[in-house]
Amino acid sequence: MQATIAKLAERPNLWPWLLLTPLAIYLAVFFLVPLANVVFMSFTEPRLTLANYERVLTGALYQRVFVNTFATAALVTAVCLLVGYPLAFLMTRSSPRTAMLILTLVTMSFWTSFLVRTYAWMVLLGDSGPIIGFLKAIGIEQPPHLLFTRFSSTLAMVHILAPYMIMNIYSVMRKIDPVLIRSAQSLGARGAALFRHVYLPLTAPGIANGSVLVFVICLGFYVTPVLLGSPREQMIAGLIGTEIEEFLAFGRGSAMAIILLLITLVILTIYHRRFGLDKLWG
Amino acid sequence: MNRLLITLGIIAVVFVVAPLVIVVPMSFSNARSLQFPPPGYWFGYYHAYFTDMRWLRPTWNSIIIAAGTTVLTMILVVPATFALVRHRFAGKSFADVMLLMPLAVPHIVMAVGYYSYLGMFGLVQTHLGVILAHTCLSVPIAFLVLSANLKGFDRTLERAAQSLGASPVRTFIHVTLPILKPGLIISALFAFIQSFDETVVAIFISGRNAETLPRKMFDSIRQEADPVIAVVSTLLFALVLAGIVLPPLLKSLRSRVTPAPAAQALSTAENQS
Repeated sequence: MQATIAKLAERPNLWPWLLLTPLAIYLAVFFLVPLANVVFMSFTEPRLTLANYERVLTGALYQRVFVNTFATAALVTAVCLLVGYPLAFLMTRSSPRTAMLILTLVTMSFWTSFLVRTYAWMVLLGDSGPIIGFLKAIGIEQPPHLLFTRFSSTLAMVHILAPYMIMNIYSVMRKIDPVLIRSAQSLGARGAALFRHVYLPLTAPGIANGSVLVFVICLGFYVTPVLLGSPREQMIAGLIGTEIEEFLAFGRGSAMAIILLLITLVILTIYHRRFGLDKLWG
Repeated sequence: MNRLLITLGIIAVVFVVAPLVIVVPMSFSNARSLQFPPPGYWFGYYHAYFTDMRWLRPTWNSIIIAAGTTVLTMILVVPATFALVRHRFAGKSFADVMLLMPLAVPHIVMAVGYYSYLGMFGLVQTHLGVILAHTCLSVPIAFLVLSANLKGFDRTLERAAQSLGASPVRTFIHVTLPILKPGLIISALFAFIQSFDETVVAIFISGRNAETLPRKMFDSIRQEADPVIAVVSTLLFALVLAGIVLPPLLKSLRSRVTPAPAAQALSTAENQS
């Protein structure tokens, strides 16, 4: 034993493999094989067939869900940007104390469970909640139904994903050298021109990071659309859940899961080629 | 331009904060439904939470599963991180990508995979099954935190110890580990939180026997919107608040160098998916 260890130590190029082996075995058995199993099921449930993909790619219901998912993810990303950009900007313009306070609030939101935040929106938008109450108070007799609509799930997803956007943009904004802004001003750039030609390009990496992150997470979002959304306007993840849990249609569910995975990987790969994933993941 | 952005920024802050604050008064409400503002206040639902096994058992399951996940994650990740940060070898970049891959896969996809795969071994609805699944999701996060710490490690300290005659093992125990301790603790904490919060995989595989707290909350919100959810939400929110507000306070009290959670979260948000 002692001799073996001494021998191994003499060949330092073996050490990393030795250290990596337990994790490699674990990831093979509990990550790669389960994933391969999804691929396998998508072609073999209920029997060897391509019908699952055909059904999922051409069926009207499935196409509508795919379109709906993309539209929702795009909308959520856009609104997150609309919320996140000014908020990050506010932080850079506040005193260090205020900036720290806002960052703490955003961090609190970030760490608070998805479910807690989803529940909070259920209270806020519910029929006996404060927003409907306010609408009634200002004289609107029959306020619209807010809960269990596309509106409620989109709003909650924006709230849940906004911290990702805010932190990504803020981390870029706070590193901007104020000298650049001042020199642009001294060259005559003002207001909208200063923003468009100087500030916006400088913050573009943060916008790109945040947007890719929010879009990709939103594509695969399960919990919030299922709990707050309209059952008639499901997103991909919700429909996969229904196929598996209610219809035990493992083949169709797996085919959709593989398509969702491929789309996600394609987006991340394009991003990686263009900017480098290490920027997204560190 | 500035003024417009700042006004929008203030609105955005309200938007971020309001939903977090609203669950607190809801937990003291005596309404049976989601009425806000509450018609009256009491502690009844707190009593209900702390005496109802239908809520306490999932809470306990979540703690056990998160603890198990943390232990397994650290056993696997610590050696791997040393290998990847301190050694150069063929296939290193492939190993890096493989380690981070679980972050790129949507949880619903893994849930479908585990549902039938763990079923083959009779691991569905068991604590072990959920731990094995959650570890996969915790590994990349723990790795990111730990590798960032290890990259910033000043190796001259180890060389100094060895030049003073310490064996490699002694150096590791008395120099490397103590210096790396904060990184190890935060990395383990992230693994724990990841598992404790994980909902989608748990919904599919934890079943009745190993039901986790997020699964119980999900079912409860979906079926009846039990007012006890507000209590659980408030307690979870209080934990987050304590985790974020207390460390900087303690730091200013003891003036010891501990990484502020806000800064940590910022760097993870930059890092993780």
